[in-house]
Amino acid sequence: MTARGAAFLRTTAFRQTLLSAALFALSSFVTLGFVYAASAGMVLRRADTAINEEVVALDASFQAGGIRTVNRYILERTVGGGADYLYLLVHPTGRSLSGNLTYLPEVQPDDEGRVQFTYRRPAAGDNDGEDGKDDRTARGRIIELPSGYRLYVGLDVDEETRLVSRMLNTILAASALALALGVATGIFVSRRFARRLDRINTVARRVKAGDLQPRAPRNFTGDELDELSENFNNMLDRVEALMHRMRHTGDSIAHDLRTPLTRMRNRLDEALREEAAPGSREQALERAVADTDELLGIFNAILSLSRLEAGESRASIQRLDPADIAADLAELYEPVCEDEGLAFNSEIQGGLSMLGDRGLLSQALANILDNAVKYTPTGEAVTLRLRETGDGRIEFSVTDTGPGIPEADRDRVTQRFVRLDNSRTQPGSGLGLSLVQAIVDVHNGEFALAEGPGVVSGGHGPGLRASLCFPKAAAES
Amino acid sequence: MRILIVEDDREAASYIRKGLRESGHVADHAGDGEEGLEMARAAEYDVLVVDRMMPRMDGLSMVAALRSDDDRTPVLILSALGEVDDRVEGLKAGGDDYLVKPYAFAELLARVEALARRRDPDTVRTKLVVGDLEMDLLARTVVREGEDILLQPREFRLLEFLMKHSGQVVTRTMLLEKVWDYHFDPQTNVIDVHISRLRSKIDKPFPRSLLHTVRGAGYRLQA
Repeated sequence: MTARGAAFLRTTAFRQTLLSAALFALSSFVTLGFVYAASAGMVLRRADTAINEEVVALDASFQAGGIRTVNRYILERTVGGGADYLYLLVHPTGRSLSGNLTYLPEVQPDDEGRVQFTYRRPAAGDNDGEDGKDDRTARGRIIELPSGYRLYVGLDVDEETRLVSRMLNTILAASALALALGVATGIFVSRRFARRLDRINTVARRVKAGDLQPRAPRNFTGDELDELSENFNNMLDRVEALMHRMRHTGDSIAHDLRTPLTRMRNRLDEALREEAAPGSREQALERAVADTDELLGIFNAILSLSRLEAGESRASIQRLDPADIAADLAELYEPVCEDEGLAFNSEIQGGLSMLGDRGLLSQALANILDNAVKYTPTGEAVTLRLRETGDGRIEFSVTDTGPGIPEADRDRVTQRFVRLDNSRTQPGSGLGLSLVQAIVDVHNGEFALAEGPGVVSGGHGPGLRASLCFPKAAAES
Repeated sequence: MRILIVEDDREAASYIRKGLRESGHVADHAGDGEEGLEMARAAEYDVLVVDRMMPRMDGLSMVAALRSDDDRTPVLILSALGEVDDRVEGLKAGGDDYLVKPYAFAELLARVEALARRRDPDTVRTKLVVGDLEMDLLARTVVREGEDILLQPREFRLLEFLMKHSGQVVTRTMLLEKVWDYHFDPQTNVIDVHISRLRSKIDKPFPRSLLHTVRGAGYRLQA
């Protein structure tokens, strides 16, 4: 047997099916055995009853007239053949006196005095001729008569025993067949099972080897292997997404840090040159410091983002009025918007209550407002709104009438370091919206980006509506 | 001013020390919390700059020990952690201000000088005066050259902070923390915009300006 075959024999599936096949064979054997015992027993019991009746009749004739009467009784019935019963009357010397049997084999009677043996039928008259055999089975009783005579009374049970043994053979054959069929189905089923498992294992091995592309095959029946495949695939999708994000983060960190680092290096290099004027040297150093601050800002953002995402932030969540947060930010950003030539509006609904961390929520809103200020062209408008939504949640939203974000990119921008092409020229780490997403997640909220109320033709674009939805706090206890 | 730096990182300590000396202060250095506690008990300092994570005795334990001696010397805690509740923990232990590493030296200097100012008995001051600019804290009015200046509540608090720290540099981060109570850095120049608004009210109509921009650091209100 090949190693693969041997491995197959060790599989759980094969062992399970083998066990169930064996159990199935055993149970059919027991059932048929019960049928056999019942029917075979009945056939022989009927013969025994008939024999007993004849013994009673013979006993009566012996009581009536002794051994002669018995002899005559037997002769009357056996001469000319065709007797129902088998008889043999044996003289104390061992000589046969009368009967249709030639001799009495030395067979030990059982507890009830019954004997069963094979005899050769004297005449061929009643031969069934099937196989030309004349060895037939007799079943009967031996009665010891007074003065040493022995009398055998029996019945030809050849048909019956043959039936019984045929039945027994059938039962054994059927059981063997059941076992064989069970094993065959077992092998078939477990092969299929093993093959499907094998395919999943192959995928796992390929993934382990570093290839994240393959997926476990599914047959969409919803059976347990299909479910396993589905879960396995979902896990792989998640791993792949994480890996991709990590790789992307790494690349982006490299990219985003390389630019300010290179810039800083060039400035310092320039400042070191001897011909540099003292004034420009100072300026170069100052700008290098500013570059460093930008780098540190990016590092800090990465750090707080990682902490928030890892759930380590232990945000100090408490009951607060979201209107306070919104009003403070409106006050902070209104002059900024005005300076940029943007119309700023705020609509703040009071009397709401939610659980949150003021600092984090303010930071999230500030990030969104920063974006609105950065990307909305002069002459457009920014609106900060706080309201209770129709489904009873608390929603902060910042709507602008700027260029908006193309629908295809909206999911992407909350990922770390994702910066849309037209924003690369703007300062920023590409971490702002990731931070918003992480803060919203900490508050069990929902962050969504949608089209704003802007006009596509003539205006600068559809605008953007960024909304942060949070559950309302339960009534004050 | 006499300042004690308690910091196990010798390089960082000598950087701070050099900077403080260049700004005209006297700075001593202790390498861990125990040494720092000893030195702080032995001499009078105006401000302590204490690193949070140190061998032998950490910064928070050291400050807590000082406070239990009823030593009220202002303490600036330096920390590499920098989450909001770390800050809360630091202030609870008796720190007066909290600065997250890495920081610009200008930020540290501004905070140290602001802390030293705190020791002045400013408890019952109801009037702040810088040059010809006067602020009445009870009536909540601001007058310059006899002219009333109308300020929004936040502008009033901003000016109040600047006046309390007149002659000192205050950084944008300090203003964001002390006036707005925000502990994050917005991407846009929000503070500059608010300062320029304030400036247009208190400085623009008058010949001499009081509110100065300090390049690379922040702002200073000075007569």
